[in-house]
Amino acid sequence: MLWCPLSSQAEVEETLKRIQAHKGVIATMVINAEGIPIRTTLDNSTTVHYAGLLHQLTAKARSTVRDIDPQNDLTFLRIRSKKHEIMIAPDKEYLLIVIQNPCE
Amino acid sequence: MVTERRALLPLLGPHRRRHAGPRRRPLASPVSGRGPGKGCPGSGDAPRVSLRRAGREEGARGRGGRASPVCRETILTIEIFLQVFDDKGKDVTPHPLFHPDPSAAVPRQGKPLASINVLNSVLHKFWLLIVTILLELICLLLNVEQKRSRLLTSCNFTDVQARPEEIKEELTKEDLDRSVDLYLTETETIWMLDMPSVVASIESEEAGRILERNKIYADICKNRPGNDRFVEKMMQTINGAAKTKEVQCDQIIMEDKGVTATSWDLYDSVNILEIKPTSKAEGTRATAGKSNKPHTTKDTTSRTVVLENSIHEEEECSSGAILTLENFQRDLFFMERILMENIFQPKLAAYRQLPVLRGFYPSETLFNFTIFKEQGKEKKDKEEQKEGFINASILPDVNKSLEEVVPPRLERLWSYTCDLTNGHSVSSMAWSKVNPDLLAVGYGTFDFKEQKKGLACCWSLKNPMWPERIFQCEHGVTALDFSMASPNLLAVGMYNGSVAIYDVRSRKDAALLGSGESTNKHTGPVCQLRWVEQDRGATGEGKAERLICISADGRITSWFIQKRLDCTDLMKIKRTEREEKKLLGEKERKSGALISQLAAGMCFDFHPKDTNFYLAGTEEGHIHKCSCSSSEQFLKTYRGHKGPVYKVAWNPFSTDMFLSCSADWSIILWHQDSQTPTLTFNSTTTAVHDITWSPKSVFVFAAANESRVEIWDLGVSVLNPVISCIASPREKFMSVLFATNTDCLLVGDSKGEVGVFELQNLAAPRTDKVRLAGRS
Repeated sequence: MLWCPLSSQAEVEETLKRIQAHKGVIATMVINAEGIPIRTTLDNSTTVHYAGLLHQLTAKARSTVRDIDPQNDLTFLRIRSKKHEIMIAPDKEYLLIVIQNPCE
Repeated sequence: MVTERRALLPLLGPHRRRHAGPRRRPLASPVSGRGPGKGCPGSGDAPRVSLRRAGREEGARGRGGRASPVCRETILTIEIFLQVFDDKGKDVTPHPLFHPDPSAAVPRQGKPLASINVLNSVLHKFWLLIVTILLELICLLLNVEQKRSRLLTSCNFTDVQARPEEIKEELTKEDLDRSVDLYLTETETIWMLDMPSVVASIESEEAGRILERNKIYADICKNRPGNDRFVEKMMQTINGAAKTKEVQCDQIIMEDKGVTATSWDLYDSVNILEIKPTSKAEGTRATAGKSNKPHTTKDTTSRTVVLENSIHEEEECSSGAILTLENFQRDLFFMERILMENIFQPKLAAYRQLPVLRGFYPSETLFNFTIFKEQGKEKKDKEEQKEGFINASILPDVNKSLEEVVPPRLERLWSYTCDLTNGHSVSSMAWSKVNPDLLAVGYGTFDFKEQKKGLACCWSLKNPMWPERIFQCEHGVTALDFSMASPNLLAVGMYNGSVAIYDVRSRKDAALLGSGESTNKHTGPVCQLRWVEQDRGATGEGKAERLICISADGRITSWFIQKRLDCTDLMKIKRTEREEKKLLGEKERKSGALISQLAAGMCFDFHPKDTNFYLAGTEEGHIHKCSCSSSEQFLKTYRGHKGPVYKVAWNPFSTDMFLSCSADWSIILWHQDSQTPTLTFNSTTTAVHDITWSPKSVFVFAAANESRVEIWDLGVSVLNPVISCIASPREKFMSVLFATNTDCLLVGDSKGEVGVFELQNLAAPRTDKVRLAGRS
């Protein structure tokens, strides 16, 4: 496995910046468990809108996965639409959301 | 029941009746009917009743007529001080007929119920008394046998007693293990219903009596009609005045509660139960409806409810702390890779030789569209090799002209480059031995003038835009290689002659081991290094891996790790004289004073089959065949190049042949038995920096000279390369590497980019050994 924990907060910030700067990435959001955005590149109202909706969707997806097999758990969620792709990394304490337009 | 009781009241003596108004409990009304509350202390001849509500509403007493509308408490403490006085003020309170036996089961519940029960029993007593009297009268009238005693004792007062209050014992854990004895006994027979039979046998004793009674009864029935005693009469009863009584109570609040118990919910609860039994009290409560508790709005799953209790102690939900969570970093890592996958998907698919849907991604340039034809029939001697592109939408199954042969070409897929590496020249590349998607690239130059700090990066296929590991080095990196035995070790050779070993598992910039303290280290740039597995037949150990380096100070060393990284010399490359100087007839010139007796070594390659032999190329242009067992003598010397030999490579399939490239613009193919070149390839006018054989085909090799990358296929042509890809004017190609698992070529250039090219339409690979025809 190539992954190992990043050693510092600066590296985390750097990775986040790199992700934001990638080709086609429209928005990057990190939202905490209560729906409050921690880091976002969109305006607040849109972010909160996304947060609420995606949180419910993630909960439902997780419930589905675990209902089929309780030992399983949701690790990643991708929603492909006509215009973008929304990628969500859910966790107990946060939601990492990246919206990308892959055709650019 | 109420009306009857009221009818009984005159028996008790004159008293005053007050209408008490609506009460909480219907039972309260007869009580209040007996007299006013404490509000009228003046009436000495009326029984005093006080009503006390338990708890908060102590102020609102049972005063005449007023009911407090809001009362949550449903328990009323009714304490009755029942006293009856007659006109003269004498206390004529009837004494209770029933004295509860103090030794018997005492009602252990709270006072209110006890007092109500006492009241109940008192009332019961009156009721029974009256009923008994009435029944006696009826009995006299009807002359029917009755068991009077039964009535009085029918009501077992112990039944009226409340259930003994259950005292909760404190259970301890030991109680679980304690064995409890349960005794099962038979109770006394409880008669629930006794219906004596109305039939008796003729032979029984009572038969005579019964027959007589029957006879008497029959006589009475006969006498009945016309008898004065059996006349039907009607009586009118006095109907008591009806009275309406209203009772008001608090609105009964209804609540809807819903629970969804999903299977993972149950699973979680069981697991959490094992971890923390105390939090089970919160339990599986997934509320679908509204919840009264002031939880956060995200409280829609019970899992979070249960876990919330367990993490309340940990308190790590602060916003800033999220960024440092390990999970978050891992998710960022994956997210970046997924983004890359989205961006590079067609390229990666081409890399993996998967069919790619063209026309789906409008970003593809027209250039890529024009070439692809369906796989047609081959020409006479060439086989078309399908490289994995199907353009189904443009060309249906119609076979295009058979004469058209698509020439082999390189298609650029992407390049590994980032800001960090811009400006550094690529000096060497190496694949990881276990992970074919992991590439190590060393950045540095051999040029003396352009020395700057070097870099070694590990790139992964999954992220072509940022390296996975970045190791900053003090000096330019000139050689690197991954180990086979411990695949996480990367050995890096630098311009100043030092060798460092890095562990790619960690992100630390510091080398795991360095040759800084070694006394025997190189004094010139390390031109090439390799991990070689060698048989240790002598010591009986089996294959051991050694790190072999060759450097410009003329030594070939083998490194080992004892207390620190140290090396021993395998070979010193002595300068050899050119053969031309030994022509007959010429006087032997004395060679001038040399700075060093050693010739700079530039490259080496171990024989693929027998790792005892290796070739070493020198700056003089000679290639020496050496053996590990002898460190003094060369076995053979191949002279053919006129400039420094930059690279030698054994053919992996036909192991008698090897290839060498040099700064004299030429590439030479040798046979190991012959000291003269077998074939020479001259195609450019620039130095050839790197060559490498294809891992798939015996005839194919790639060469990087400064202006071009060439793919030669000796089965097709020995004069010209089959593919020649010209570099842009600013960059010089420095290094080539074939991909091991796909048909791709990696080319590193002097700008710091490693371009990944796909080989298309090459001739079919052949791996059999090649015999030279007409050997000289």
